[in-house]
Order: sequence, then structure tokens, then C-alpha cells
Amino acid sequence: MNSPMLVLVLLFCGLLALNVPVAVAIGLSTLATAALAMGSFEIAAATIAQRMATGVYSFSLLAIPFFILSGLLMGQGGIARRLTDLATALVGRFPGGLAQVNVLSCMLFGAVSGSAAAAVSSIGGFIVPEMQRQKYNREFSVALTVTGATTGLLIPPSNIMIVYALVSGGAVSITALFLAGIVPGIVVGLLLMLTAAVLCRRHGYGERVVLPWSATWRAFRRAFLSLLLVAIVLGGILSGAFTATEAAAIAVAYSFVLSVVIYREVKPRDLPGILLQAGVTTAVVFFLIATSMAMSWILTLEEIPQAIGAGLTGLTDNPLLLLLLINLLLLAAGTFMDMTPAVLIFTPIFWPVVQKLGMDPVHFGIMLIANLCIGLCTPPVGTCLFVGCGVGKTSIAKVTPATLPFFVAMTVGLLLITYVPGLSLWLPALLGMK
Amino acid sequence: MLRFLIQFKNGLNRVLEGVLILLMGLLVLDVLWQVASRYLLRRPSSWTDELATLLIIWVAMLGASVAFIRQSHLGVDYFVGKLPPRARVWSELVVYALVGFFAGAVLLFGGIQLVSLTLLTNQVSPALGVKMGHVYLALPVSGVFIVVFAVEAFLERLASLRAGSKEASR
Repeated sequence: MNSPMLVLVLLFCGLLALNVPVAVAIGLSTLATAALAMGSFEIAAATIAQRMATGVYSFSLLAIPFFILSGLLMGQGGIARRLTDLATALVGRFPGGLAQVNVLSCMLFGAVSGSAAAAVSSIGGFIVPEMQRQKYNREFSVALTVTGATTGLLIPPSNIMIVYALVSGGAVSITALFLAGIVPGIVVGLLLMLTAAVLCRRHGYGERVVLPWSATWRAFRRAFLSLLLVAIVLGGILSGAFTATEAAAIAVAYSFVLSVVIYREVKPRDLPGILLQAGVTTAVVFFLIATSMAMSWILTLEEIPQAIGAGLTGLTDNPLLLLLLINLLLLAAGTFMDMTPAVLIFTPIFWPVVQKLGMDPVHFGIMLIANLCIGLCTPPVGTCLFVGCGVGKTSIAKVTPATLPFFVAMTVGLLLITYVPGLSLWLPALLGMK
Repeated sequence: MLRFLIQFKNGLNRVLEGVLILLMGLLVLDVLWQVASRYLLRRPSSWTDELATLLIIWVAMLGASVAFIRQSHLGVDYFVGKLPPRARVWSELVVYALVGFFAGAVLLFGGIQLVSLTLLTNQVSPALGVKMGHVYLALPVSGVFIVVFAVEAFLERLASLRAGSKEASR
């Protein structure tokens, strides 16, 4: 490692430990490295400003604010609750009734929104207290919600897939990624449900909720309009009727009509507040994207991807071991980095190795996302974990041990996704996407 | 002086929030219009995607400054949480100084260079004919706001530190 790179890594870790906002920590360590490498503070500052501005100047990234906005509307507008009612009717009868409902609700919500944190707050917000009433352990409930919500990032639409498509520089289509994520998302969800069932049986948590068929049918009818959103968004993108960004804007319009006009759970006077919250969340994500794009640029300029590629292939040329190594590095990075910068920074770094292995970039993207999902639930930086602890009114120190069995399930899912490319590639191939 | 700065910050924050709400609303309407014009009027609009990308830079940059006030940006509070209270205030002083430095150096200083260089090349957006240099103004403008917020937060913490030490010496 050359000296500017050492500066970058040390400075970045030091700034993070000091609780400097992650985006600023990325920006400052990039600035120091670029100034050293280019020999001029002025040029470094101007170039980073340029990388930040052009980094967010993209029409396809626009899907992100729209999916954030529709997620907020759905969370507050009664759509999340209808999906949970449907999940209760479907899986409440299995061991650990409400625990199963929790995961399935997160998966269903993932299929109508693009972010995991939104699922934690909207689904967890009322299912965790409900589980509490049925004598489930609080930390168990929060751990399950937090890990279950990450399935929404594999199940389309997914904001992080849009980010990955952006950084792949057009090598990967958003549509193919969306299709590729469906089966892996369901696999991870089923593994979590299985784990929950075993744990509930052992600890004697929860009652089974068996509803008569008439109630199941009623729950389905009540959730129908919410489910229709999935059909419109995915159907529209897959058939080529509209782009991901347009589909996201239609999702906003649809969830607006549903929550304001039909369900009437959001009042028109709530709208400015919702727009503001969506705007701030968008800005947080985009500011991270902007500084990450700058860091990604300086890493490429310093030829780090080539160095790491050579280092990895120097260790072993066994593809199975190489994939394992990449996964271990990503898991370590995921614990202290948020998902968006991790995707933007590590995709170009591992790109040369992945190409050498002849791995499909769509498959790599799904593996990358499944891997970083685990990091979303671990301290010190875990967005889902933070939101979950806030919603469940408990502490990170208490929840972390409870998440361990679910990490095992997610890791098994990750290994399946890594070594069985068909899980990701079967559906896109079936529908003629490459 | 500090009281005036706090009032100024609160006023500025309210204005920025209003602008953000407006921009987000415009963004949604703009892209919906793009779909509608293609399917209902059968005449795809040529400027909507360009306007959307211009809007999003401003949403991102102005929103980022609002997010600094609300402390919505992600950080790792694990280690500083273990510090004694006074040391934690000191660490906050350092963080605000660093945030202010970053905003001043990259967004303001680097952003002004970016704007003036882009204006020199006379680059304009293809459909709307907006000068790209003006679009990039979002960076230095929000840079100024973030510097103001960082200075205000820094002084506020410093004042609380002084009040705390007076109390302790009594």
C-alpha cells in the first residue's frame, strides 16, 4: 500500500471513531489523499467538488427519492398494516405465528418499497408492540424485524440495486437486477422464518393464529389494492412500459391516491411534512453517494482495484476460495460502512477480480447486496439496527446477541447465493433478460 | 452575538425546509408529467428528465444542509458514547470544526472553482439551455449554509463548555 492510501484508510477510520458524519469522513479522507497524490490542495478540492456534482447528476438515481417518498406514504397510510393483516392470515398458523407474520410482512413491504429502514420503522412500529403483548421476548422481536427487513433490498424494487447499476457504468441493467433479486430474497426470508420457528418452539414463544378461510379472503381483498402496486411497478418496468424512475414516480402517485383518497389515513395537511422528511432522507443518501463517488475516483486513480485484484489472485487461484475471501472482506467492511458507500466503493475494487473469474455482473451484484445486508444489522454502523432499536425502545447492546441466530441464517443464504448462480440468474434468463 | 446567530440559523432553516418541500413536489410532478406526456399526449416531453436531474442536485445539496441541522447524517456514536461528558463535548467541537472545514474547502472553495471553470467553457444543458455553471452553484451555496450551521453549533457547544466550567469552579 502506498503512502496516500495509508493516509486515506487511517484518516477515514479515525474520523469515523470520532463520530464525524460518514459522508464527511469519506469526503475529508478523499480530500487529504487527493491533495497528497496531486500535489495541490486547490486542484484536489475543485476535482472533488466536480466528482460530487456529476456523481448525483443522473436520471436513474432519481428513482431513489421517489421510492423513499412512496415508502413514507405507505408506512403512514395504512398500506403496511393491510399487508401485515394479509401475512397474519397466511402464515399466522405456523409455529411462532407472529414471528412468521413479521418476516412475511417485511418481504411484502419490501416488494412495494425500496428501502429496508422504511420496512423496519413501518412494519416494526406496530408488530413489535403486538409481539410484546403475546409475550415474545423484546430483543428477539427487534432482531427478527431488523434482519427480516433486509430481504426488501433483494426483493424489487430496491434502491441499492439502482446504485449498483449506476456504478457498474451500464454493464448491468436495473431490470435484470430486479428480476435476479426475487428468488434470493425469498430464500433468505424462508431461512429467517425457519430459524424463527425453531427458536419460538424452543423458548415456547407465541400462539398460533388460525383464521377461518373467510377471514383470509377478506384480508386478501383489503390488501388487494396495495398488492396491485407491486404488479404496476414491476410489471411496468419489466414490460418496458416505463423506466425504473418513472415507475417510482407512479408508485408515489399510486400510494398518494391510496393513502390520502381511498384509505384516508394521511391528511392533506400532513403532506408538506412527508415531502420534507423524504427530501432530508434523500439528501442524506445523495450526499453519501456524492462523496463516495469522489472516493471511488481517487481509489481508481491510485490503481487500488488492480493492486487488490493482484493481491487476491496472488493468494489463491481457486475461484471458490476467492469468492469466500471477497465475501469475508465485504462482511468486515459492512460492519463499519453504510451500504450505499460500500457498494459505490467496493464494486470498482472487486470488478477486475470478478471479471477474471468470469462471474456474471448481475450475480455479483446480488451477492454484494446479500452480503452487505448482514452489515446493516451489525454495530458499530448498522442503519437497520439503529432504526430497530429506536422503534423497539431497546439498546444495541441488548439486541446484538439476539441477532446471532439470524446472522447464521443470513450467512447460509449468502453462501447459497454465492455458490449457486442459478438462484440469481434463472429468472432473468427465463424472461429473456440476457 | 450567539443569540443572534441562533435566531439566524432557525430562520434560515425554515426557509430551506420550505424550498426543499417545493423542490420535492416539483420533482414528482415533473416525472409524472413525463409519463403522462408520453402515454396520454403521445408526444414525449423533451425537457422533463433534464429538469429532474437539475432539481435533484439542489435537493441533495440544500437537503444536506438541513440534514446537518437535524443531525440526520449517519455517524458512529459508539466510541464517543463511552467518553465522560466533558470529553464528549470536546469531541463534538472537533466534529463541528471538521464539518465546517469540509464544507468550506470542498463545497464552497472547490465549488466556486467548479462553477467558474464550467461557466468559462460555456457548457449548457441541451434541452433547457441552462448554463451548467449555474446548476453547480448548488455546491457553494449549500457550502455557505453548512459553514454557518457548523460555526453556530461550535459556538453553542463552546458556550455550554464555559458555563459548565464556571459551575464547577464555584
